[in-house]
Amino acid sequence: VCAWHPCPSTETALGSSDNLEHRRKDRQVRLAAFGINSILYQRGIYPPETFTRVTHYDLSLLLTTDPKLKSYLTNVVSQLKEWLFECTVQKLVLVITCLETNEVLERWQFDIECDKSAKESSAPREKSIKTIQHEIRSVIRQITATVTFLPLLETPCAFDLLVYTDKDLVVPDKWEESGPQTIDQPEEVRLHSFTTSIHKVNSMVAYKKTESA
Amino acid sequence: MDLEDDTTILTTLKSFNSFISRPEHPQRLSEHSAGSGILQSQYKRSMELLEAAERVHSKNRYLQLDQEKKQMELSHKRARFELERAASDSARDLEHEVDRNQELLGQIKKLEERAEEVNKKLTEQKEANDALQKNLEGLNKTLEERDDKLGTANQTISSLKDEIRELRQKIQNQDSKMSAQTLENQELQEKLDLQQRKYQEVSQLCQSLQAAQSSCSDHIIKIKELERRLVFQEQDFAIVKTVKSEVARVPDLEKELKRLRDDNAYLRESRENCSLLKEEVEGLRKKLERMEKTKEELINMELEKERLTEKLHAWENLGQSTGLNIRKPEDLSREVIQIQQREIALKEQNYTLNSRVRSVERSQSELRAELTQQHSKTLEEQKKREAQDALVRRLQKRVLLLTKERDGMRAILESYDSELAPTEYSPQLSKRLREAEDILQKTQSHNAEMEAQLTKAQEETGTLKLQLQTAELELESLKKQQASATDSNSLLTKEEVTILRQKIEDLERERQRLEEQNNILEMRLERHNLQGDYDPVKTRVLHLKMNPTAIAKQERQQEVEALRQEVTRLRDLVRSLQSGGAVGHSQDDTHNPSFSLSLAPSKEVLDLRKQMESSELRNQRLKEVFQRKIQEFRTVCYVLTGYQIDITTENQYRLTSVYAEHMDDSLLFKKGSNGSMQLMETEFSKTLGEMVALHLHHQKSIPAFLSAVTLDLFSRQTTV
Repeated sequence: VCAWHPCPSTETALGSSDNLEHRRKDRQVRLAAFGINSILYQRGIYPPETFTRVTHYDLSLLLTTDPKLKSYLTNVVSQLKEWLFECTVQKLVLVITCLETNEVLERWQFDIECDKSAKESSAPREKSIKTIQHEIRSVIRQITATVTFLPLLETPCAFDLLVYTDKDLVVPDKWEESGPQTIDQPEEVRLHSFTTSIHKVNSMVAYKKTESA
Repeated sequence: MDLEDDTTILTTLKSFNSFISRPEHPQRLSEHSAGSGILQSQYKRSMELLEAAERVHSKNRYLQLDQEKKQMELSHKRARFELERAASDSARDLEHEVDRNQELLGQIKKLEERAEEVNKKLTEQKEANDALQKNLEGLNKTLEERDDKLGTANQTISSLKDEIRELRQKIQNQDSKMSAQTLENQELQEKLDLQQRKYQEVSQLCQSLQAAQSSCSDHIIKIKELERRLVFQEQDFAIVKTVKSEVARVPDLEKELKRLRDDNAYLRESRENCSLLKEEVEGLRKKLERMEKTKEELINMELEKERLTEKLHAWENLGQSTGLNIRKPEDLSREVIQIQQREIALKEQNYTLNSRVRSVERSQSELRAELTQQHSKTLEEQKKREAQDALVRRLQKRVLLLTKERDGMRAILESYDSELAPTEYSPQLSKRLREAEDILQKTQSHNAEMEAQLTKAQEETGTLKLQLQTAELELESLKKQQASATDSNSLLTKEEVTILRQKIEDLERERQRLEEQNNILEMRLERHNLQGDYDPVKTRVLHLKMNPTAIAKQERQQEVEALRQEVTRLRDLVRSLQSGGAVGHSQDDTHNPSFSLSLAPSKEVLDLRKQMESSELRNQRLKEVFQRKIQEFRTVCYVLTGYQIDITTENQYRLTSVYAEHMDDSLLFKKGSNGSMQLMETEFSKTLGEMVALHLHHQKSIPAFLSAVTLDLFSRQTTV
């Protein structure tokens, strides 16, 4: 069922910084993937029976089983990992559009501040399971908490993932440029920004105001 | 032409005015005196010219006004013309508009007529629709009636079948029951015998079992008692063993006891020794500590002693090092006192020197001030001298002019005297002379006034220059003072300071304003960033081409198209249904399975029809079968009983015998309301009066009567 890379269960004393950096980016990307899956589940974009519980890092997490969705997510995630390694990513945005009116209803935005000088690590490699768990739990907790005040999505919706990159980047094959897909007159809520050992992620969610009294 | 004349006149006027107003240079005086008569004539001419100029000017104005009036009239005419043209154009436009209006009205009427026609067609269509719907309803009703009839027929058939089945089953059941019951009886009797035998055996076994059980229980009790005794014996045995072992150990224990007591005594003694020793040890330790402390103190004392000896040596050597005659501390103190006294003396000298310096400075500054004053005085003197020189020069010039005038006047006088001699124009000449002298005086006074003004102006400039130079001197002196003084910050004057302060305040205000603007812009930028805006120069927004939203939109579009196609197809179907019959659609079943709903009624109708046909077939077959059976039965009855029984009407039975002489000979019986049969009068029955009386009235038996009739007829037939 799981389509992600296997978790690093053993911590061998590899000293090369590249491998370290790879593993770090791997972890960031996995965090993003868990976050996206939990948003899709919580907002009901895909029916809840298409999600299964999978154990990672001794936590039980929800991942999708829809094959098309899985392949799409792996494509995006692998490309994102490359770009993160080159530190050319500025933001990752999840946009939820209503299919009937083609309006953007919700916008989850994650600003990534990539510290280019953080290739050498002054702190020791804390890849203990507890820190990883803590990070994942904090992300998922935030998402579930924000869902409580977001308006219900009553119409059939679809989602899209947008990546804000530097202008001078070479656009790969299957990717194309798109507009920012903003909401007009949105309500904005800033989420608690969390820092991992590598970088700082600011997150916020913007949603269209409902005309309910 | 007039304008050119005006300009020349004006220029001459101007030149004349300037000529008059110019300060009379002393060099022109001579020309003035010579040309006084000319001046007069010129003045007169100029006045005349002025008047002419005014006249010309007025004529000019008049002409100009005329021209303007003509132009105005022209423009009026043009305006009127244009207005007339515009009026004609508007009249034409009006006519066009009226025509167009009429055309549009005609079109509107035509459109209204068309709309009415269309409405009529719509109503007709609706009526046709209603009629068709009513037809449909009628057809549906007939279908329902047929279904009901089918149902009732089926019900009667099923009820008849059930009755036949039930009768047959009853007969069979009864026969089978009879046989079964006899068999059962036999079986039961056999079983009974068996059971009785078994019962006897079982009772015997029971008795034996009971006896065995009682013996068993007795045995069990005995066994339990024996077991208990065994257990007790084992326990006693164990106890005996332990006691024996303990008894064996007693002498060893006694020995140990003795040893332990000896050890105890020894240990007590040693304990006392121990305590004594401990006390000694403590005393020795305290001594040790004290000794160590004294040692340390000794060491410190020795160190201090060394230090003090060094100090002493140093103090003793002071005398040698400083070079003074010091051997005792009293010498040192003397030396110190001497030094202090010298110091005091030096300080006094210093103060006196300072005061002298200050006084010198004061005198210096006073001298400087005096210097500046002297400078200014010298400058003033210089100025005065220069002014005097200028005056002198002017006076000299004046003198020259006067001399020239005198010479000139003399010349004129001589000339006039020379001229006077031949002619007698002396009174006129003297008049003229006097006038000229007056004019001269006036010019002279004017000249003097101008010179006075000039001198005043020059004096003023001189004073201003003086002031300037004094100010410069003061500035220089101030600068020197400030350079000599120690405070250098007061170079800037108060004005500059205030100006700079104002500048600073303005700059600060601007800075604050700019900071506020900056903050606002940053907030806006952040807000836009939150909303998702980006700087197109630096960033790009990317997404996968085959993303779920795009896929979902495509699928939705396809769904919508498919739905539209379905809708068009359904509309066509409905239209065809409304126009044609429902039978033709059974052919479409295989092609369009999605239309099964609309054709359901017809399908049901077909099924019902099939069922109806099948049930009708069954009905027919059953009828045939019944008829056959009835026919058989009737023939058998006829053959066996000798009478053919026919039902003529309800409850009336006609019997014809086998042996009847005529075809019409028959007996009629009627079934009464209470169920009894009664004979009716017929021609044949009249002939059988005797038998009727005997069998029916007397014996009251119809079978006897009938059999008598057959016998009678049979006898008649055979004999005849």
